[in-house]
Amino acid sequence: MAKYKAKKILRDGIWDDNPVFRQLIGLCSALAVTNLCMNSFIMGMGLTFVTGLSSFTISLIRQFTPKHIRMMVQVLIIAVYVIIVDIFLRAYMPELSKALGPYVGLIITNCIIMGRAEAYAQNNPPIPSLIDGIANGLGYTLVLLSIAVVREILAFGSIFGIKILGEGFVPWTIMIMPPSAFFLLAIIIWVTHNIQDKKSEVAK
Amino acid sequence: MKKSFAYPIIFMTLITAISVFALAFLNESTAERVETLQETELRTKILYAFDIKVNTTDPEEIERVFYANIKEELSGEDKIYILMENNKEIGYAFPVSGPGLWGNIDAYVAISTNYNELLGLVFTKHSETPGLGGRIEEEAFLQQFRGLNISGTQDGNYIVYRPASNGNVDAIAGATLTSQSVAKLLNEDIDNFIKTRKGE
Repeated sequence: MAKYKAKKILRDGIWDDNPVFRQLIGLCSALAVTNLCMNSFIMGMGLTFVTGLSSFTISLIRQFTPKHIRMMVQVLIIAVYVIIVDIFLRAYMPELSKALGPYVGLIITNCIIMGRAEAYAQNNPPIPSLIDGIANGLGYTLVLLSIAVVREILAFGSIFGIKILGEGFVPWTIMIMPPSAFFLLAIIIWVTHNIQDKKSEVAK
Repeated sequence: MKKSFAYPIIFMTLITAISVFALAFLNESTAERVETLQETELRTKILYAFDIKVNTTDPEEIERVFYANIKEELSGEDKIYILMENNKEIGYAFPVSGPGLWGNIDAYVAISTNYNELLGLVFTKHSETPGLGGRIEEEAFLQQFRGLNISGTQDGNYIVYRPASNGNVDAIAGATLTSQSVAKLLNEDIDNFIKTRKGE
């Protein structure tokens, strides 16, 4: 039973109730950091880490937290984990820390984390909350990566910094700029909704 | 849960205290590492500005090469670096900075001791658009400043983009504003540096 539930939570977070294309939250960062795969990947991992652990912690202390100050407590806990990620990147991955710059600190404002804390961790035990946080983080990472792969190929002719298109390739300037992320995100939302709608129609 | 006035305050204070201690500890324990990383990075960049090749990322080796060639000196408020060869000063590297398109751009410029020639340029911090203005970091752009003769400069315009008749450097296509900002901050700060040094 417990195993089945974990599977369901993971499935919800990654596909059925994906934070980006179903819940439509966390969009700012999805637009901002997706010009390179590596940036998106680290951003996604950072967010997964923060969402998972903050959901876990919030759920752990939910019974002791006075209801009317729970938001303050949530923000505090999220901030702690974000700072941990920031310190870790600065000390061990300085290159990435520089590339991501202010975006690491902005993980805290990502609605996904607060959204999961409010919607799930506040009312569920720690372990499912942890899984839920991680699942949503992974769902977010996947969307980011799928945008980033297209953008990086068309903008730089490479994936994760490895050149795959030859010298003759002319980079698409628009793909480096934020507007391209709007197009791609819209396409992803359109495609996934089509697939999901078809499925639910069949189920009916 | 009964409504108590003191409980939320105590709870919040406690949880804040725990978090702060945890973070302070983490910060303290990585501080040294971060500092070494930053020092090494700056040294590598200064060496690059002077066109001294180091084929290693080992911090100690970089430190050794750095102090074998370079002397530090305070000039006004800024720390400048002096390239030495056989106990003679042959070049200065000094910090330049100014607004770019999205944020501040910080760089070091290396110049010969007779102020006739730029030895090199290296950027230490910028937040230009990756792939467009961000290309100021690329070799193709930076190489143009190696050995750039600036002895015939008029009115403090050391860097002039082609195709202007007296242009000496190519700007970056698709990044006009970044290119302009770079030229502006270089011209202003190089001029300042030379004037202060000559005034001394």
